Amino acid sequence: MIRLRDVSLRLSQANRSPSVQFRLPAFDVEAGEAVALTGPSGCGKTTLLNLIAGLLRADSGDVVVAGVELSGLSSARLDRHRGAHCGMVYQTFQLLAPFTAVENVAIGLRFGARQRGSLKDRAAEALRRVGLADRLHARPDQMSVGERQRVAIARALAGGAPLLLADEPTGSLDPDTGREVFALLREVAEEDGRTLLMVTHDLGFAAELPRAFDCTGLVRSVGATSETGGRVA
Amino acid sequence: MAWRYLRFRWLVSLLTIAGIALGVALVCAVLAIREESERALSRDAALYDLVAGGKGSPLQLVLASVYHLDSPTGNIPYADYERLRRDPRVRWAAPIGLGDNYEGFRIVGTEEQFFDLPDREGEPFFRLARGTAFEDRFEVVLGSQVAIATGLDVGDTFFGTHGLVDVPGGEVHRDFPYRVSGVLEGTGTAQDRAIFGTLASVWEIHETEDRLHSAIQGTASLGGRKKREATAVLVRLETPGLRLWMADEIRERTDGIAAIPINEILRFQRGIIGPVQRSLLAIAAAVVAVACLTVLTTLHQAAERRRRDIAILRSLGAVRAEVAALVFTEGLLLTGAGIGLGLLLGHGGLALAAGPIRDATGLVLDPWRMPRAEAIALCVMAFCGAAASLFPAVSSYRRTPIADLRLTD
Repeated sequence: MIRLRDVSLRLSQANRSPSVQFRLPAFDVEAGEAVALTGPSGCGKTTLLNLIAGLLRADSGDVVVAGVELSGLSSARLDRHRGAHCGMVYQTFQLLAPFTAVENVAIGLRFGARQRGSLKDRAAEALRRVGLADRLHARPDQMSVGERQRVAIARALAGGAPLLLADEPTGSLDPDTGREVFALLREVAEEDGRTLLMVTHDLGFAAELPRAFDCTGLVRSVGATSETGGRVA
Repeated sequence: MAWRYLRFRWLVSLLTIAGIALGVALVCAVLAIREESERALSRDAALYDLVAGGKGSPLQLVLASVYHLDSPTGNIPYADYERLRRDPRVRWAAPIGLGDNYEGFRIVGTEEQFFDLPDREGEPFFRLARGTAFEDRFEVVLGSQVAIATGLDVGDTFFGTHGLVDVPGGEVHRDFPYRVSGVLEGTGTAQDRAIFGTLASVWEIHETEDRLHSAIQGTASLGGRKKREATAVLVRLETPGLRLWMADEIRERTDGIAAIPINEILRFQRGIIGPVQRSLLAIAAAVVAVACLTVLTTLHQAAERRRRDIAILRSLGAVRAEVAALVFTEGLLLTGAGIGLGLLLGHGGLALAAGPIRDATGLVLDPWRMPRAEAIALCVMAFCGAAASLFPAVSSYRRTPIADLRLTD
């Protein structure tokens, strides 16, 4: 499902110092795998996730997602590839404030993979699946943070994307809600056979997933002597 | 989506639309008033090729005798009218005598051939809605607006008041009741605001009043008969090409002057109304420019505030062109709503003002008619709005989503 080789990226675009660089010799994830991305803040976990999502482009190396080499895609095709293959879940939910839960999910479907059925029906179905059947028409500001994250998960699921990319999905939630959201993500990924990549600082969650990838050392100053790359833990 | 975003920021959207609408309404109103007033003034002026009257300002003569607005310049001998009527180059001529009013509407003394005035197609210009033209000396025919405003109808009687404007305590000619013999159909000209009676009645009332005043003052003998005079003579020539020639002749052969109404009105429009309208247009253009800048600022701020939302859409698979189109559509919706509302306000305001303008000046405006200049101005404003919408759209197109998602690590 995911294959990265000799990837390097100068991180000037992300307001980093131009001398800071992301380097990853190799990273592979099989279809249906669930992998935790761990490591201290600033080590490159989110950068790795964004490279896989096509939100960042590598300066060199290969990034292959769902059989497609991303570096060769135009901006528009990269966006479409992301919409079709990647369901994104963020720490800060990233919902659109003017729209209801069902509309937020439906908007995601509009740009995502093409499937049969009306957008709103499919959005409502996804929301029912994450336990929000009675909150379809609530706006984000009318929902609890846990509900908002469920909407974000429903949005990631609804399009049928084979890859779920979750960037600290429990980071803004209290421990109980965080546990529920984590369980939900695992459950839907397993049920559907989707690949799950989850950035987390919570070592407990990381330990519960079959595999964790320690991102420590992926981001470093150019010219540093010890370049160890990512490690599989 | 664009509509939902506008609705979400309803106050800002509303204020932006109001700003555009105000500018558009101002431009529409100014252009429509200019076009309509020119059309209406020209329609009136085109009724007569020449107006002959006492010495004075030609414009004043035209305003008094064609538009029933200003004071007359003075009188000319009735004999001058008779000479003009016999001239083979004159197709139609009628004398008018002014002096009295009823509730502010001027009583125009004339002769029965006045109603034979042909329009430019040769058809009768005046048509009776009901009743008949005057036959008796103290019978009158009402213009359509007079009938509506005063409530007078065929068979009713009233007294004229001395003077051309309705002032409290004016001298009412109670010895000379007028009887309404007919009401004219609306013509869309100042003639709708006049009461047409016989010139003989005007002479009789004022000669009697003069004799009475003289007798009271002991300065003249009763029974003295003045030389007959008219306030003006309205003339339609066999061909408009004779206007200048005839005007010169009248100036040379009489003590009065002759004015060509259409020339006087065009001079009036260009000399007096034109600069005022140009100033108003400049103000309106400034308002529209400010409105377009408001669209630009609003959309730019909206796009800035929504950088995160746009980044989210990109992360969901929206391509650059789609988010740019979304921002551009918002701008077009704001501009379109502003122009639509402005059109409604401008022409609606004109519709509301049309009645008072007609009552005050006799100009009949068609408030819903869109002049070509207005259509061009609207196209320019729509273009400005679209151009203003383009900047934030291009800005959205150029942005990369990663910075705006505010992701860490």
